[in-house]
Amino acid sequence: MQTRGTPRRGLLQAGAGLGLAATVPAQPRAQTAPARGGDPLRIGVMTDLSGPFAGAGSVPLFNGAEVAIALFNERGGVDGRPVAAVSADSQSKADVAINEAERLLGQEGLEVVTGIYSSAHAVPLSGRFEAARKMMWITSAIATAVLKDKHFRYVFRPTVHSDQYAEGTVSVVAENAQKRLGMAPEKVKLAVIYEDGPYGTGVSTAIEANAKKRNMPLVLKEAYSATTPDLSTLVTKLRRERPDIVYQVGYNPDITLFLRQARSGGLRFRMLFGHGAGWSQIDKLWDTFGKDIQYFCNADPAATQMLDWEKLQPGVGDLARTFVERYSAKHQVRDLPPHASMGFNNTWIFLEHVLKPAVRKSGGMTAEALREAALQVDIPLGGTIQGYGVKFEPPESAMAGQNSRSICVVMQFRDGKSHVIWPSQIGQEPVLPLPPENPYALRS
Amino acid sequence: MGLLDPFLLEALVNGILLGGVFALPALGLNLVFGVVDVVWLCYAELVMVGMYAVWFLHTQAGWPLALAFAACLPVVALLGVLLHLLVVRPLLNSPPINQVLATGGVLFVLQGAATLVFSTEFRSLGVDMPPMEVGEVFVSGTKLAAFCAALLGAAILWAFLKFTYVGTAIRAIARDREVMPLMGVDPRRIYLIASAVGGALAGLAACLLVVQLDVHPFVGLSFGPITFMICVMGGLGNMLGGFLAAFLMGLIISVGGFWGTTEFSYVVAFAFFILVMFLRPQGLFAR
Repeated sequence: MQTRGTPRRGLLQAGAGLGLAATVPAQPRAQTAPARGGDPLRIGVMTDLSGPFAGAGSVPLFNGAEVAIALFNERGGVDGRPVAAVSADSQSKADVAINEAERLLGQEGLEVVTGIYSSAHAVPLSGRFEAARKMMWITSAIATAVLKDKHFRYVFRPTVHSDQYAEGTVSVVAENAQKRLGMAPEKVKLAVIYEDGPYGTGVSTAIEANAKKRNMPLVLKEAYSATTPDLSTLVTKLRRERPDIVYQVGYNPDITLFLRQARSGGLRFRMLFGHGAGWSQIDKLWDTFGKDIQYFCNADPAATQMLDWEKLQPGVGDLARTFVERYSAKHQVRDLPPHASMGFNNTWIFLEHVLKPAVRKSGGMTAEALREAALQVDIPLGGTIQGYGVKFEPPESAMAGQNSRSICVVMQFRDGKSHVIWPSQIGQEPVLPLPPENPYALRS
Repeated sequence: MGLLDPFLLEALVNGILLGGVFALPALGLNLVFGVVDVVWLCYAELVMVGMYAVWFLHTQAGWPLALAFAACLPVVALLGVLLHLLVVRPLLNSPPINQVLATGGVLFVLQGAATLVFSTEFRSLGVDMPPMEVGEVFVSGTKLAAFCAALLGAAILWAFLKFTYVGTAIRAIARDREVMPLMGVDPRRIYLIASAVGGALAGLAACLLVVQLDVHPFVGLSFGPITFMICVMGGLGNMLGGFLAAFLMGLIISVGGFWGTTEFSYVVAFAFFILVMFLRPQGLFAR
C-alpha cells in the first residue's frame, strides 16, 4: 500500500531539526548532500510544518525546497560551496512567523529567507524584511496585497499572485458559458466563499473584479474563518441564491467541511472552482471524497508533471524529471501537489539564478548582492519546471518584486489526477457542467 | 422574508444541531470544573485524542465503527484519570494560574504528540449519512444523529448524577467542597471519578465530531475556544447552564450568519458574551 503525504519519520526529523534550530545556532536541516569545500552558504527556509497550514500544502512546499537544495549541492553548489538551510517552522501562526524571522535575521544573521507559505504571514513579514534590508524570497504566499503599491526593494516573489487566479477561473466560465452551459456569460450566476485572511480576501476581490469586468452577476460573496466548526448556514444561503458556479478559496479543514455540509445541505451547482492551497492537495481530497469531486476545478501554478517537458527550454525537462523522480521516491504520492513543484522550482530559481551569480560577482552573500542579482534575472517562457519565465518588476513598479512572467493555470480533477484546462491554448477540453451523476450537479 | 421562510427555518435547525456539537464538551468541562475546581484547558485536545482513537481503530485496525466508538469512551476516560493523577492532583493546592498553565501545557503536549504520531495530515473517517429533506429544508443526517446522541449522553449523565450514590456525592462535592469530607465523602476518589466521567464525555464528543470534522492535531481550535466561552456564559461549573448556553450560542451563530454574514455572526456571539459578562458575570444560568 502506498503511503501518502509526509511520513511520520520525516516529520519527526523536521521537528527535531526545528528544535535544534531553536536552540543551536546555524543547524543546517535541509542540506543533505556532502559539501565539496568552502564555507557553506546559509539561507533560511521558513514554512509551516505544524498547524493547519502544514496539511494544506506547506509540508510539500518544504519537501520540494529540500530536494532543490540537495540537488543543487550535489551539482557542486556555488563553485564548491554548498548551501546550508536553516529551517524554521512558523506553526501556522503569524506571531510565530514574526518571531522566527527575528531569530533567523538576528540570532542566525541570515541575509535571505526563502519559503513563506501563507499570505497572512507574508504581509507582516515583508515590511520587517524591507526595514531590515534583508531578502525575503516568497515561494508560495500569493496575495497581491503582499506587494501591491509597497515598492519593496528586498522582497521577491517568483510565483503567481492572487489576481491571476481569478483571471483564470472566471475566464474559464466566461469562455465556455455559451458553448457548454448554453447561457450567455452575463446570465451565469457566480458565488464566492473564502477564508478571511489576505489569501482568501485577495483572490475573492479579484474574482469580484473579473466578474464585474465581464458583467457576470456575483450573487454571494462571503468570508469565513478557516477554523470555523460549521458552514451549514453559509450552505443554506448559497442554496437560497442558486449560483451556477461556486468559487471557494480555502485551506483544508474548511474545504472538507464545506464539501460535506454542502452535500448534506443539498447544495448543487454547475461547477466548483478551488484556488490552490487545500484544493491543490489532490491526493487527500480524492482519498476523502473520491469520485464526488470528479471534474471539480482548481487554479494554481502548474505542477511540473502536468506540462509537456519537451516543450520547455533545453535542459529544463531533465531537471523536472529529476525532481519528480526524487520527490516521488522519497514521498510516494500518486500525484505531486503543485506546492511540491512550487517549493522546488522557486527555490531552484533562487539558487541557480540569484545566489550563484551574486556570490560569483561579489565573492560573498549579502542581501544587496542578492537583490541586484534578482533584478538581473531574465528567464524566458518555458525556462522553469513550472513553465513560466522569470523577470521581476523593478522597485518603481506598483508590483515591485513580483515575477511578471509567472503563469497560473486552471486544472480539472479526473480520476485522482489534475489536468490543465486553461489557458485553452495549452489545456485540454474542460468537462462543464458537472455531469448529472455527480452528487453536487445541478438538477436541470 | 417571513418566519416560515424555509431557509430561515433551516438556519434555526442548523443552530440547534450546532448547539448539540458544543453541548457535550461544555457539559464535561463544567462537570470537572464544578467538582475539582480546575479548568482543563486541554479539554478540546482530549476530544482530539478520542477522534484519533476512533479513526485509527476503524480505518487502520479495521474495527467496526460501533466498536471503535465503544472503545473511544474508556480510552479518553483513562486519559482524563491520568490527567488528574499526573497533572491536576499535584497542583490542587496551587494558585489557579498554575493549574491553568499546567493544563495549558498539556494542550501543547497533546498537539505535539499527535503531530509526531499521526503527522499533520487531515484524516477522514469517510462516514456520512444521507440528509433528510422536508420540503425545502435539508437536515444533515449525520448532525441529527450526533445531536440525538448528545441528548442521550446528557440524559444518562443526569440520571447518573441524580440517582446513584456516587452521583449524589459528586453533586455534593460540587456544592460544598469543604464540608463533604466531614460527612465521610472521600474527595480524592470523587475527583478521580469526575475526571473519568469528564474524560468519557470528551470521548463521546469525539465520537460525534469525528463524523463531522476531519481529524488533525489542531482540530481542537475549531471548537475549543467557543466551548470555554459557552461554559463561562452558562456559569462555570454549572452543567445545566453550560448545556443550555451551548444551544443559545449555536442559534446566535446560525441565525446571525443567516441574517448577516458568517463572520458577523461570531461578532454578534462574542458581543453577546461580553454583554453577559457585564450584566451577569456569574453566568446566565447561575443560581
